[in-house]
Amino acid sequence: MSEPAIITTNNLNLWYSGKHALESVSIKVPKKRVTALIGPSGCGKSTLLRCFNRLNDLIDNVKITGEITLDNEDIHAPASDVVTLRKKVGMVFQKPNPFPKTIYDNIAYGPWVHGIRDKNELDRIVEQSLRHAALWDEVKDRLSDSALGLSGGQQQRLCIARTLAVEPEVILMDEPCSALDPIATSKIENLIDMLKEEYTVIIVTHNMQQATRVSDYTGFMYLGKLIECGRTKQIFEHPTEELTENYITGRFG
Amino acid sequence: MAEKFHTELDELRCETVEMAHFGRSMLRDAVDGLIRQDKNLAESVVARKEEIHRMEVRLEEHCYQLIALNQPMAKDMRIIACTLKVITASLRIGRYGKVIANIVKEVADNPHISNLMSIPHMAELVIEMIDDAIAAYETDNLRLIEAFSERDDTIDALRHSIFRQGITYMMEDPRTISRCTHYIMVARYLERCADHACKIAENVQYMETGERVEIH
Repeated sequence: MSEPAIITTNNLNLWYSGKHALESVSIKVPKKRVTALIGPSGCGKSTLLRCFNRLNDLIDNVKITGEITLDNEDIHAPASDVVTLRKKVGMVFQKPNPFPKTIYDNIAYGPWVHGIRDKNELDRIVEQSLRHAALWDEVKDRLSDSALGLSGGQQQRLCIARTLAVEPEVILMDEPCSALDPIATSKIENLIDMLKEEYTVIIVTHNMQQATRVSDYTGFMYLGKLIECGRTKQIFEHPTEELTENYITGRFG
Repeated sequence: MAEKFHTELDELRCETVEMAHFGRSMLRDAVDGLIRQDKNLAESVVARKEEIHRMEVRLEEHCYQLIALNQPMAKDMRIIACTLKVITASLRIGRYGKVIANIVKEVADNPHISNLMSIPHMAELVIEMIDDAIAAYETDNLRLIEAFSERDDTIDALRHSIFRQGITYMMEDPRTISRCTHYIMVARYLERCADHACKIAENVQYMETGERVEIH
């Protein structure tokens, strides 16, 4: 990958209670591109994704060795602040998880926590975030309604808008469409395509067609190792590793 | 499901090899008909036209169906892409067989000029290339097609030689113009068949390695 990287891991290892979940993973995630992580269940894709904003810190008995850098700075350095890190590296989960609050509050909460109190500024952020998440036109007349009344697809776009509200650099998506129908999925995929103009997106997906549709780069993981990572076109047309070939052609997995 | 898809892919390849042999046999019989001045054999080649068209439609539909239902990737995708090219090339080879068979009907009543010049030899070389291309597709054996560029050069040289020889005969005796023109056309069709064998070879190379090569 010759493009400039925003996140880099170097010889990253992770153990959950002694189980070696990531083995010597070295990856460079290019800036303002969509990178997909694929691989069979339990291969470590989500674990790797959660390393990028230190979500694994919340789990007991986790040991991490190796280096992860964001913008060339070690995210595990003593001076590194995890709240700032998670502002820079937002996350969207498999199941939409809006707060049980209004649509407006869902978006405004993040900037508010980060110190923005001006109502006009919050209004601007809410509108801009919802527009970026392609949701504004659908919810602009009911911003005071509960977010839980939105459809699954709308809730997921709301969660993306909520992530965008704190102006991250990187958006992590862990199977963002697995709980959605094809139309809602297509809207999220179109959104991902637009987001890469301003953000770096890393997406974990089980759906290989989705990986081919949305990503510029693809990494294939197997049993905790990053087997191969390269341009999506190359990975799906002629992968270098036989293991990748066997996985993407459905011979195992 | 993946297993079912791979079984279907194997079946598709087998059926495509059958079609390729069918097209090849049309060319083989047309050339034999020309050499032996056998109008009946030529007639039988022309009659096979409908069948090879049916094969083309059926196999292409099979390819499209496999793509639509399975979204193949990597080598699976390359096999189907290559198969589509093999189907087209086989149809064209069969159709050139038919065109040569039609020429047989025109020239069979008169003696050969100069023992058909180099046409029988050229036809042997072309059919060997077709056989090797089909076998490479069937068995993934790239060694069979590694010298295709040189072999194609030989075919081009033979076509040129037949062209010059034909012109010479026509200048010497205008009564040979009709037959010599047919010979020149047959040489041209055989050369095109060799090009289709090269096309198959290029696609087999892509199928196996994912790399595009051009065989001149």
